[in-house]
Amino acid sequence: MDNPKTQEDATEVRGTLTNQERDLLNEVGFDSESSRAATSVLTDHEVRLAVSNDPGVEIMPLAVALRTYDFVQDLMFGLVDPNENEHIAMVAEHMHDPLGHFTWVKPGAKVKLPIQTFTMLETPQARQFTHDITLIEEGAEIEMIAGSAVPSSVHKGRHISVSETYQRPGSACKSVSIEHWGEAMEVYSYGHSRMEKGSSCTAVSIKLSPIRTHKSRSVSILEADANSVDQSILFAPVGTERVMDTETRLIGSGARSEDMARMVSAGGSIVNNALLIGEAADTNGFLGCDGLKLSDTGEVLAVPSLLARAEGAQLSHEASIGMIDSDKLNYLMATGMDEDAARDLIVQGFLALENDNVPAALRRRVSDLIAKAKSGGM
Amino acid sequence: MLEIRNLSVEIAQTRILNDIDLTVRAGELHVLLGPNGSGKSSLLAAVMGMPPYEVADGDIIFDGVTLNDLDIQARAELGLGMAFQRPPSLSGVTISSFANALGASAVLEREAAALDLADFVTRDMNVGFSGGEIKRWEVLKLILQDPRLLLFDEPESGVDLEHVIAIGEAIRRIVRAPDSKGRQRAGLVITHTGLILNHVDADMAHVMKDGRIIHSGDPIEIFNHIQANGYTVPQKAA
Repeated sequence: MDNPKTQEDATEVRGTLTNQERDLLNEVGFDSESSRAATSVLTDHEVRLAVSNDPGVEIMPLAVALRTYDFVQDLMFGLVDPNENEHIAMVAEHMHDPLGHFTWVKPGAKVKLPIQTFTMLETPQARQFTHDITLIEEGAEIEMIAGSAVPSSVHKGRHISVSETYQRPGSACKSVSIEHWGEAMEVYSYGHSRMEKGSSCTAVSIKLSPIRTHKSRSVSILEADANSVDQSILFAPVGTERVMDTETRLIGSGARSEDMARMVSAGGSIVNNALLIGEAADTNGFLGCDGLKLSDTGEVLAVPSLLARAEGAQLSHEASIGMIDSDKLNYLMATGMDEDAARDLIVQGFLALENDNVPAALRRRVSDLIAKAKSGGM
Repeated sequence: MLEIRNLSVEIAQTRILNDIDLTVRAGELHVLLGPNGSGKSSLLAAVMGMPPYEVADGDIIFDGVTLNDLDIQARAELGLGMAFQRPPSLSGVTISSFANALGASAVLEREAAALDLADFVTRDMNVGFSGGEIKRWEVLKLILQDPRLLLFDEPESGVDLEHVIAIGEAIRRIVRAPDSKGRQRAGLVITHTGLILNHVDADMAHVMKDGRIIHSGDPIEIFNHIQANGYTVPQKAA
């Protein structure tokens, strides 16, 4: 007699990925399911894979999660108003058949292997609307790798995503996301998170590949003693427009945040509007925006803003934009490097790719992305 | 190996070096002494091809190739390398990623400890380095680069005595050893204080003053003369 199905079996999705799909996802951080605590892969309009190897993690399509757990409906649009703007409203209108990842990390789980979630758009000119929800329960600790990719045959399409992340008290999350969309695509992403008392988050977001338009808005709310370190790495070759709006609200005493953006324009346009709000006493926040211009075309606009609403909120920012320093180029070229190699090394250093927060396995891929983007090979 | 003939150098059409003649043969290590502002660093920078130094007259010849119109990288590829006095900081560029870009990761692993830099491989180049650490790193950088003609710009300035010995010995070791293809090397070391003379075992010294080489000869005799009489030409030579 067959064993009865467990809840996990019922919510898992065990579709297959082709070798080409795996190769594509490898470029944005994917690794085999066996080397990850949990894996979820969404392609076009279905979640193809959702499996967990760790009892501390449940991962499933959002539609399944809504049917399986009553509380998920309260998480959905709990951090963002479905009518906030036309894009989010479009996602909300697809809620008869919601598409997205639901990741639930159980209380106190110390998850050793990373959890990975990926989104692919494989049909040219497709319209994709996704909604991801992540719930990290009290005291849980995880590492997450997220990525998005399109095959080389897909140039045009539109992707709109909403993500809501709940970090319960004392939880810890270290995450890296790397995005590689099509060069003529439009992408709009909205990320909202709430970090409850004493939780911590270290996030690295890497957006390097050519894209017609990528507009993102993220809102993070930090309760008492929550601690967030966020690093964004943006590259814009010719024809790429990136607009990044971030808002960080320190609403509880002892909340700390550090948001850093590293932006490189190689002819494209990057706008970074960052707003840091101190709403409680004894909060501390920092915004850092550094831009590098590699050519005379394109532009980089960095607008860091500070808003203090409580006595004792300590907020600061630093912003700079410049060209590659000729002294640095000459110094490296005096070791025999050609100018392109010297520029690459300086740009990669500027983008802080040796940062410990970037997994070693991703660094080489990111370096390749820069090289390809600069050579027009992507 | 290096032949400088009747060299005059300008910055923005202002003459800073005049009628320099200097020859460094393969296997030799020369030192260049002189007061601050005498043109020692300018001479090294001009040999390396660093802007804004422009050759106004004369020739810089390396292994029979005139360098005057070659850019920095071309000179480095021919076999020139320079340890900078004040190198720029390269934020985010770690020593290991630099070594990797040069294809010298194995050399870094082998040589870093000798210069007390084994713990530095994950650090950003010249970021937060003390004066002594910069000098040791610049010597290690040349070891990674493997040039034939090594130019050292004030390698002992800002270095404590203990590390002057280590740096001096490292300079002697790298200049006296053949390059990776078994060819003899040569070196030219600028020293302001002369402290490093005790450790590099130089073959020849030159004294620069006001943009000219005013005297050349035995390194120890010249240094003793400078200590007693300043940067002047000894009577018997004059």
